[in-house]
Amino acid sequence: MGSAGSEDRLTVPSATLLGQSVLSGVFIGALYGLLGLGLSLSWGMLRQVNLTHFALAFLGGYLTFQLAAVAKVDPFVSLAITVPAFFALGMALHWFFMRFKVTLLNTLLVTFGLTSIIEAGIQWYWTADFQRMETSYAHVRWKVGPLYLSLPDVITLGLAVSLCVGMWAVLRYTDLGKAIRATTEDAPIAAAFGVNEKMLGYLVSGLAGAFAAVAGVCLALDHTLAPVQIYAWMGVVFAAVMMGGLGRPLGPLVAGIVIGVSEALTMAVTAPTWAPLVSFSLLIAILLFRPSKF
Amino acid sequence: MLEVRNFSVSYGAAPAISGVNLAVAAGMLAVVVGPNGAGKSTLINAIGGLHRPDGGALSIHGKSLMGTPAHRYCDYGIALVPEGRRLFTGLTVLENLELGSYRREARGKRAETLEQVCTLFPVLKERLAAVAGTLSGGQQQMVAIGRALMARPKLLLLDEPSLGLAPVIVVELFRAIRRINAAGVAVLLVEQNVAAALELAHRAYVLEEGRIVAQGRPATLLSQPHIRKAYLGH
Amino acid sequence: MKIGLGIFAVALIALPYVGLPAFYESFSYLLLSAIVLATSWNILSGYSGYFSFGHGAFFGVGVYTTAGLAGKLDWPFLWTLPLAALAAAVLGVALGAVVFRVRALRGELFALLTLAITFVLATIALNTVDGGPGIQFMVDTPKLTPTASGFLYLLMLATAALTLWIAYAIYHSRFGTGLLAIHDDEDVAEVMGVPTYRFKLAAFAVSCALAGLAGGIHAVFVSYVTVAETFSIALAVNVVLMAALGGTRHWLGPAVGAVAITVLLYAFTSGQAAVLGRAMTGLILIIVIVAMPEGILGQILKRFRKNEVVRKPPVESARPAMKAKSGTILEVRGASKAFKGVQALAGVDLEVRGGEILGLVGPNGSGKSTLINVVSGHYAADGGSIRFESVELTGMPAHRIARAGIARTYQIPRPFPQLTVLQNIALPPMFGQVVMDRAAAEREAWRWLEFTGLEAKAHRLPADLNLHERKFLELARALASRPKLIFLDEVLSGLTPTEMDGALRLIRQIREQGATIVFVEHVMRAVMELTDRVVVLTYGKAIAAGLPRDVMRDPQVVDAYLGTAHA
Repeated sequence: MGSAGSEDRLTVPSATLLGQSVLSGVFIGALYGLLGLGLSLSWGMLRQVNLTHFALAFLGGYLTFQLAAVAKVDPFVSLAITVPAFFALGMALHWFFMRFKVTLLNTLLVTFGLTSIIEAGIQWYWTADFQRMETSYAHVRWKVGPLYLSLPDVITLGLAVSLCVGMWAVLRYTDLGKAIRATTEDAPIAAAFGVNEKMLGYLVSGLAGAFAAVAGVCLALDHTLAPVQIYAWMGVVFAAVMMGGLGRPLGPLVAGIVIGVSEALTMAVTAPTWAPLVSFSLLIAILLFRPSKF
Repeated sequence: MLEVRNFSVSYGAAPAISGVNLAVAAGMLAVVVGPNGAGKSTLINAIGGLHRPDGGALSIHGKSLMGTPAHRYCDYGIALVPEGRRLFTGLTVLENLELGSYRREARGKRAETLEQVCTLFPVLKERLAAVAGTLSGGQQQMVAIGRALMARPKLLLLDEPSLGLAPVIVVELFRAIRRINAAGVAVLLVEQNVAAALELAHRAYVLEEGRIVAQGRPATLLSQPHIRKAYLGH
Repeated sequence: MKIGLGIFAVALIALPYVGLPAFYESFSYLLLSAIVLATSWNILSGYSGYFSFGHGAFFGVGVYTTAGLAGKLDWPFLWTLPLAALAAAVLGVALGAVVFRVRALRGELFALLTLAITFVLATIALNTVDGGPGIQFMVDTPKLTPTASGFLYLLMLATAALTLWIAYAIYHSRFGTGLLAIHDDEDVAEVMGVPTYRFKLAAFAVSCALAGLAGGIHAVFVSYVTVAETFSIALAVNVVLMAALGGTRHWLGPAVGAVAITVLLYAFTSGQAAVLGRAMTGLILIIVIVAMPEGILGQILKRFRKNEVVRKPPVESARPAMKAKSGTILEVRGASKAFKGVQALAGVDLEVRGGEILGLVGPNGSGKSTLINVVSGHYAADGGSIRFESVELTGMPAHRIARAGIARTYQIPRPFPQLTVLQNIALPPMFGQVVMDRAAAEREAWRWLEFTGLEAKAHRLPADLNLHERKFLELARALASRPKLIFLDEVLSGLTPTEMDGALRLIRQIREQGATIVFVEHVMRAVMELTDRVVVLTYGKAIAAGLPRDVMRDPQVVDAYLGTAHA
């Protein structure tokens, strides 16, 4: 796949390589956006920084893998199990935060603890070895001009776009969506007009859990699963959420794709090990120069 | 219609209002005046569901509201225009108005009520798509009143609507309030602008240090030295 | 007690010579390293509340400085240690200089920013110094101990002692109190005279330097350094966990937590158990955050505080009274301030004369509180000039305005919630016109405690006070720095008539001591009785000034209050 980028030389890639890089950047960015969707909603609307989102996504991925490997269940069919289960888990987590009146900063710490627990659970059952789900989907590839597209990639993009756009449409056009936005701004006044803050809180947190389940399937389809990978995604998805805007469903998707493409281009031009610098530098720049977004 | 008996509300540890008796009949326009710190906002917020009362009785058409969760207050026919407007500033004017009619009974008649609000405040019609936070103070106040009207209330609660607004806008606003009341909506108004408020009202209450110290017809009250003393100290 | 500590210290130093199996030497080393990291983290994050998730980054800087210099360039490793500390400190200061200026970057945003820094530094280290495979090097340690790791243990012991001593010293100093105040309410701390920016930067520098030092030692201990192990998230979070478990508000808390966590983690050393160990760590973190928000040590200390007897420090000789200059001391010309389209101040002109009680009145929303906020530096004015004793205040940071001798109370009391009543009142004297050390400040604070009748509550937290007492706490805190000019923002609202009379008496006494008072109030009775002159504000402008009787009869003022009737 192009020249092996040596540490200190920039290589000029071919047009095909550039094109493939951009494409792969778009696909990985879509997954960043999908992972960011739930995180953005719970951070922006519920004022909770939910690190367990990542652990749940991976748990969803592992469950999908397990069902496919053992019971030959199609990954999309397994959504029928994981989505409601994770919806419930999301609500349970919200209940926990409400019951113990956990402040914003502490949600970060508590969810880190939960992530450790879930990660340990995953490692205990599935070991620390890398697992890869084998499905017929992974083998489907198309050639569009000189570029290759794989089915899992396209599915991920499709799911990410439809869920993010769908959520955006709900927030923008439905009464429920407007009620959620109003409650986020001024819950007591929204209540004075009949909006039930508590119920909406459970709804949003349940949805975030459901989105994690979907992200899990996408993870399982095209990536190797390992418990330690949970942390690898955290940084870059946070970057996407913060760049895209808290509480916004579409922003993180766009930001995720921007990050994905810039990472991919960086990797094509220099060594892959420089790639993390891109997303985090972007994040730091945003935090320093546009903190009013928060 | 609205009956408040022996009502008490505290702010934190300290009692803000106590032993308040108040009544607003259907179609009436009642006003609560008093110096700052007297507890006027606390009173109206408690009637509107923003603040938990400590004790006493609060009922509309005989149905008690004590112990009702905040988001059910509007079902009793109350709508609040809070102090400082408190619009959903990130949402558009239209979305703010639509949220006013969030409750089920109001939702069905939304289009019709919206028409009525736009007739009352024509300037809003052109600014429906504008983000609420970008409007001027006076326009925001109109949106706040409009939002409350969208709930099709039987009782409209207004907390210091003239606050921070230029006198000429205040005139318009009070004219609109009079028209709303004339259409059959009972109004309970808390105001600092005593003269204008007393002009409008059928009945006035004077609140000082958390207690009702005088009540009656506005003309009678204005002639008493009580109000001048409370506000100006002489 | 001292003898016990002495024996303990000797035992610690003797450890490498006793001939214990290597495991215990390693374990002790790691224990000490955890103490250093947790305690140094706490100096910024625990004391001031700026939770950093980047402690691993500065530790890593230290590791790689030593690994690079001693491993790749063959420098004698002891010389690399101060450089490791310095490199980490410089990086911390560079980061802090930018970040601490941005008001919005607090709380979870600061945490995430520091986490991002860790990733950035890891990437840079990987691609430059490290190159990928890690750095392996062997270093000759001085032959002071039987084993090399024994020597490193002693080094880490010294570092731990240094770190604990620094944390202790800061905790008991002015610097520490300032940091704790920043934790509770940074904006109020700034207005009370704490130089918040400088203090945060200093705490960050110290914290990073110690982490860097520990890193440098660690590089030699492991002798094979990789980016993945060094810059791991695990370190960042473990440090937070240790401090939170032990108690972030006390200098010794993190050490307690470090010992507890390290012991726990090492109770599970075999493979399967390591997984269980991580799960346990997570569970403990959750339980601590939820059930013991103050940490183990914090919880224990809380129990002791309840029984603390009120001790009065030795009385100082009487201090000279606050003298008031005659003539105009504060001149405000054309002050303006707008918030999101609302013009709160629209060109205010007023004067305050030395030694007077000036009433500032006006309807709700007329700009009275905004004026106080602008003069005291809580907000920056958009335009106009504010001169206090011929010094221009606009543009001056709030803590310097406090130093100049201006104090204010908050309409809704804003005491520092986790400082005792005494500590609250003792803060302004530490940072006011005459800078006092902690002991002197507490003696000064007692004077004001007695003045406001709060002595019995000296060691209680503000949450234990009722509204009346909290208002008096605000008052005492504002007075404690002996300001030349004091703004009282609605001190009487919410008080019963008897309490109000007591407050009025106090205010008269304050004036007798020589202070100039600007008195914002709605209670007309008080304004009439107490003030020498009155200024009326409406719609952000001063419309009348003069004797109370005259001003309140001015038709413009009557209009403003009662409003003009319109058809």
